[in-house]
Order: sequence, then structure tokens, then C-alpha cells
Amino acid sequence: MRIEVPLPSLGEEEDAVRGGTIALWHVEEGATVQEGGDLLELNTDKAAFVVSAPVSGRLVEKRVSEGDEVSVGDILCVLET
Amino acid sequence: MSAPVKVFPAWIRRAWPSGAAFAEVKALLSGLELHTVCQSAHCPNHSECWGRRTATLMVLGNVCSRHCTYCAVHSGKPEALDQAEPDKVAEAVARLGLKHTVITSVTRDDLPDGGADHIGRCIEAIKERCPETTIEVLVQDFNGDRAAIARVLAAGAEVFSHNIETVERLHPRMRDRRFSYRGSLQVLKTARELAPERILKSALMLGCGETEADIVACLKDLLEHDCDAVSLGQYLQPTPKHHEVVSFLPPEEFQRYERIAYDLGFNFAVAGPFVRSSYRSEELLDAPFARARLSAAPSVARASSPAPQESAHEN
Ligand code: SF4
Repeated sequence: MRIEVPLPSLGEEEDAVRGGTIALWHVEEGATVQEGGDLLELNTDKAAFVVSAPVSGRLVEKRVSEGDEVSVGDILCVLET
Repeated sequence: MSAPVKVFPAWIRRAWPSGAAFAEVKALLSGLELHTVCQSAHCPNHSECWGRRTATLMVLGNVCSRHCTYCAVHSGKPEALDQAEPDKVAEAVARLGLKHTVITSVTRDDLPDGGADHIGRCIEAIKERCPETTIEVLVQDFNGDRAAIARVLAAGAEVFSHNIETVERLHPRMRDRRFSYRGSLQVLKTARELAPERILKSALMLGCGETEADIVACLKDLLEHDCDAVSLGQYLQPTPKHHEVVSFLPPEEFQRYERIAYDLGFNFAVAGPFVRSSYRSEELLDAPFARARLSAAPSVARASSPAPQESAHEN
């Protein structure tokens, strides 16, 4: 099954962090990642954050690249489970 | 789209919030329309703390009447008080099953008592509903108003905190002009006069341009004003509009300052890049001095009704 992985939301309120800049991918297309494993790093103004894989699977498609600005809810990649 | 990517030191790295426990805390708090400093201040520990089912509740609304150059909380004209907030706070603490909680607030210069009575009612509501839960209350300076400080103390939170935030030399640049370094020290002194046994705590952000001499002088000032416990953490810039980070101190530097704080005479000190005044705040209460204080003033831990008299719960 193919699963689209969004950037998880931190809260709907207007004062919540809304996204950041993709700093680095930890997994290449075609490689597999375990549930909870590091997927990519994202910078907010305050710090670097590691986004982890919500399920185990093979990364079939990256939808964002290093340097891209992303918002919560944006699809980061597609995993095949 | 490829702007140069900002590079943080390797140790300024956290997990992006996700997972079931985080989602549960998020749903519960937004259902009760409660604000947290975790969210409003864009705290980097958000994922870890909510994942451990702890959060720092920010009462009196999410708009602050003051404007400090490092803080992400919105400033402006605060809204009307939510009179149901004490009950909602107690409900959140009960439903999260918290053994320890931190209550803080925005500054409310628009309210005659600065919101002290409302904060006191929040503490009392928690104590009534969850008598075993220990509480740290982190307050603003109330413009030095002794009666306001007494009102908060009388509610019986085990730990009373007021953050000095930064060293004396940087205070005018970092804080709203209505705060003053000496005024903040005096808040701690006043709390000590009113509540001789209370655990008093303060916190300091590092990386704003202070020197070691500045830090040591500040720690000594806190001790001279009867502060028991201190936490030191890395300042992180919430948006490019806020005060810049002058330096990122490596974790070893924080450990060194933690030792310095103990050597100077603090009963409890904790320092680290991600240490915040509310981060793992419950560990303070496990310190031997804190246990001794709480058993010396058991009424503090069991305060259940509002105390009309100053320091009625002490001694
Ligand atoms: S350190 Fe404090 S403000 Fe930050 S997430 Fe934890 S409880 Fe919330």
C-alpha cells in the first residue's frame, strides 16, 4: 500500500509552529525506513527537527527537496508498505 | 526555492512532534480551549514533553500586555478573562493524570491585581480536584505588588518561580521596559519574606551575549535574594524579528555552569541547551532540600481553600 506522509500538525491555533525549511533527507528514494526511524530534518527558526517515519516502508517518492519551505499538512514523501 | 539552509549546531536538534500521546494531549487541550507556553512560545521540547503527557499551561489568555524581544508570545491588548479557566485547568490536569504541573501566564498590566487572583484560583482548583498533584507557578513581576504576590503564594503551589531571564547588562535590551532586573530580584525576596519555607526558583537564558562574569554576578544576585533553584538553557530565536542568538553554548558549557551554580550555593541547579524553566520541572521536588521543605510546611502541599491572609499556609 502507498501512504502519503504529511508534515504532522502541532496545533490548529494561530500561534502554533506552522512549518519550516527542509534541511536534509536521511533516506534516499528506493531505500527502506522503519517506523519511528529518521526521515528528514527540518529547520524552524528555533532549532533543527527530525521528522520520523509514521510506518515502516520503502520510500518511493520524495515530494520536497532540501531548501524547500513546507507547511504542516504538506506531503513530504510517499512510502510503500 | 532553495534559500541557503540555516545550519544549527549538532546538539540543537529535537524530534518533530508526532505520535499518539502528543495527539491526545493536543486534542484534550484544544477541546478545553486552554493555551500552553509549549505551543505559544514554539518550545523545542514540545514533542518530548507532550509525549510524556506534560504541558505548561498558560493562563490569563494568550496575548501579553508586555513585549520582550526574545519571546514568541503575542503582545497586544489582552482579551477578557475566561472565568471558567480555573475549572478547565483542573479538568486538564485531572484528565492528563499529571503528578506535577507548571502554571504560567502572560503579563496582564490591564488587570488591577495583574491576574494574581485568577492564577490563585487556578492553583486552588487543581489542588481541590487533584490534591496529590504538585504545582510550580511561574509568574510575572506584578509590578512588585506585594498583595498580588501574597495572593499567588497563598494558593499553595509548592514552587514559586519568577524568571530573571537574562543578566543585568542585557536586561534593558531583552525585556520589556516595565520589567527591571532589580525589580525581578525583589519579587523573589518578597516571596521569601511572605513564605519562608517556599521553594523559590528562577531561570536564565544563555547565548544572548552575556559573559561568564555577567552570569556569575546574576547567580549571586539570585542567591542574595533567597532563590533556591535555578535553571539555565540556550536562548533560541523564535522568528527573525526577535533578538538574535549571539552564541550556541555547547552542552559541556552548560554542565560547567550547573556546577558553578551549585558551588555558589544553590540548593538545586539544572542547565542544558534545552533546559527551560518548565522542562522536567518535577525533578526539583525530588531534591533532598525540596523534600525537607515540603515536610516542614506540609500545609503547602495540602492547601485546599483560599487563604485570605498573607502567608497563611506557611509555618
Ligand atoms: S519545556 Fe516547558 S514549555 Fe517547553 S514543551 Fe516542555 S513543558 Fe512545554
